[in-house]
Amino acid sequence: MDEYLRLENICKSYETKKAVDDLSLSVPQGCIYGIIGPNGAGKTTTIRMIMNIIVPDSGNIFIKGAGVTKDFRNRVGYLPEERGLYKKMTLEEIIKFLAEIKGFPVRKIVESMDSWLEKMSLLDYKGKKVEELSKGMQQKLQFITTLIHQPELIILDELFSGLDPLNIELIKNILLEEKRRGTTILFSTHVMEQAEKLCDYICMINNGRKVLDGRLAEVKSKFGTNSIQINMEGDAGFIREFSGVKKVTEFPNYIELKLSSDADSRAILKEVADRMTIRRFEIMEPSLYDIFINVAGVKPAELDREGKADV
Amino acid sequence: MSKMWVIIKREYAQVVKKKSFIVGIILTPLFMVGITVLPAMLASKKADDTQKIAVIDMDNKKVGEKFAESLTRYTLDNGLPAYEVTDIYYIDPNDTAKLTEQRAVLDSLVRAKQLKSYLIINHKAEVNDSIVLVAKSFGFRTNSRFEKRLSDVLSGIRLDKSDVNLEVDSILKLTRRIDLMQQAPGGRERDFLTMYLGGIVFVMIIFMTIIGYGQVLMRSIIEEKNSRIIEVMISSVSPFQLMAGKIIGLGLANLTQVGIWIVIGIGIYNFRGSLDISADVSAILFNPVFLSFFLIYLVIGYIMYSTLFALIGSIVNTDKEAQNFIFPITMSLILPVMVAMYIIQEPDSLITVTLSMIPIFTPTMMILRMNFIGVETFSFANPIILEATIGVAITILSTLLIIWLTSKIFRIGILMYGKRPTLPEIIKWMRYN
Repeated sequence: MDEYLRLENICKSYETKKAVDDLSLSVPQGCIYGIIGPNGAGKTTTIRMIMNIIVPDSGNIFIKGAGVTKDFRNRVGYLPEERGLYKKMTLEEIIKFLAEIKGFPVRKIVESMDSWLEKMSLLDYKGKKVEELSKGMQQKLQFITTLIHQPELIILDELFSGLDPLNIELIKNILLEEKRRGTTILFSTHVMEQAEKLCDYICMINNGRKVLDGRLAEVKSKFGTNSIQINMEGDAGFIREFSGVKKVTEFPNYIELKLSSDADSRAILKEVADRMTIRRFEIMEPSLYDIFINVAGVKPAELDREGKADV
Repeated sequence: MSKMWVIIKREYAQVVKKKSFIVGIILTPLFMVGITVLPAMLASKKADDTQKIAVIDMDNKKVGEKFAESLTRYTLDNGLPAYEVTDIYYIDPNDTAKLTEQRAVLDSLVRAKQLKSYLIINHKAEVNDSIVLVAKSFGFRTNSRFEKRLSDVLSGIRLDKSDVNLEVDSILKLTRRIDLMQQAPGGRERDFLTMYLGGIVFVMIIFMTIIGYGQVLMRSIIEEKNSRIIEVMISSVSPFQLMAGKIIGLGLANLTQVGIWIVIGIGIYNFRGSLDISADVSAILFNPVFLSFFLIYLVIGYIMYSTLFALIGSIVNTDKEAQNFIFPITMSLILPVMVAMYIIQEPDSLITVTLSMIPIFTPTMMILRMNFIGVETFSFANPIILEATIGVAITILSTLLIIWLTSKIFRIGILMYGKRPTLPEIIKWMRYN
């Protein structure tokens, strides 16, 4: 896959704090790329530098191998972390206005506006002012304004903040649709579980530094499928005797085995199946949350595992 | 450029579409008239009716009669006499009871508006100048007329009693006082009150539109910061395009408003006959050279000051924080109005010329001076034209400087939420590339 965006050794400091420290990453064309990290990790600063809103102290940013040009602005859709629109404009006016300052022809906006509003169930509000919409509706409206000018690159800062589960589902589907059209999507979040369901590539950052990055599947396999959950009938005390089992944790309905890296999960399955009835046998993938804690050594309190919206 | 045009269109439409724009077009002139022209017009307004006056004469030297006769020279526009002495009561100076009684009668007539006022000429008035005017209110014009006429009457009595050989009338003629007529070089009539008010009106237009639109600009930047749409904006346009687009868009709305006023003003000029403005004066206020300079100064002044307002908007977070910064701006704009009474007397003094060459004062100060001195044709032979042209150049240069500095601060300030930056921080921003 071709590379769309590359960051090379980006640094940015504020007063005393290093917000982003020697960050390099590569975003392939047409993928969904997630920047993941706790609050204050440097996600927003990184995104603002990509958007050329702030200038890096050092390092380079490349779009398709070339430096960032002025008209890059027109080819990108940006949803900032803190949402906001002109409250006194009508939906129709603001959609037109924000697309027009991207240099997108008004005629084409008019063509696609109704179907976008329909998709977000905002069509009835087309002539209403932004201030008459609820917070959630304003979010959806801003999402339209981010996408309607058919950008090559969509950048979404804290994508899931302030969205209810229904709208998260809606927006996920729209993003997958955009991806199919070849659009590159970069988003940041501190909600690991949501990121896991959506992205092809991830980059984990903490305290302004990259912790790890790569294809999601590769990252997961690298951190090993080293635990197994088994639901079964009867006493499973004998499992402790198996070679390769480091630790057994018993729960009311199942047991969890931690394996050493050279353990053979198929042998264990066979052995257990011979002795008793198995209802479920699952090789557990580590969650991004686990990987992050494992690699970055962050205290769990700073991370949001469950996907609760941050305030 | 086309992006800036989109922003200009939005800013213009946002202002012009509002009801407050129409209301402002109508109310602002009324307000300006209300605080400047109206009080003066009322003060100098002639009475429509003959004022009825009574006289109590305790001297019996015919002061009352002579005074009544001297008042016949004053007439109203409709030809009726301005004053009518209804009765003269002669009372013995020692009869205080009669005086008290008569005063009570006249007081009640004054209260009932059947009499405008009455005079009490005390005993030996020609010696002790003791004359009292009793009325519910006093007009400047009537007061000065009564003073003049009574002085003449009393002088006549004093001269009669002295041993001068000349006829009393001829002495009075020899010592008569005159009213100075005021003319500018070239023989044009100068009515200072109208000139002053005319000048103030133009300064007020500059002042009110700059303050008004400047604050709209500042608030909209603060709102963009607070609603965070600023990030979306500058991910699409450069901060300079945003700032310039906003200033130009609101500036065009401002010009639309002033344009409508000028059209109304020219309409009024065509009906000047019925408005009692002398032709010479209105020719100065409505002449093309003056109006061109006025528009030039309005535009540059607007750009200069609104850039400053944009600067304030970019570094503060709330309207309240902004107030501290607005105060000096308001002061520098209103200064010419405060010193107008001095400028009207000394429009060419060193201090006036110097003040009018300081860029932040130039737009309003020059307009005031041009108004007082008078400009008929565009010719550098008239020093004020030369000075005003130099003033335009100075103001444009300093406006460019202000725009350059502001654009450096603006692009950083608009992304700073929360804490207001300190001066050293702002100076540091100016050094960034």
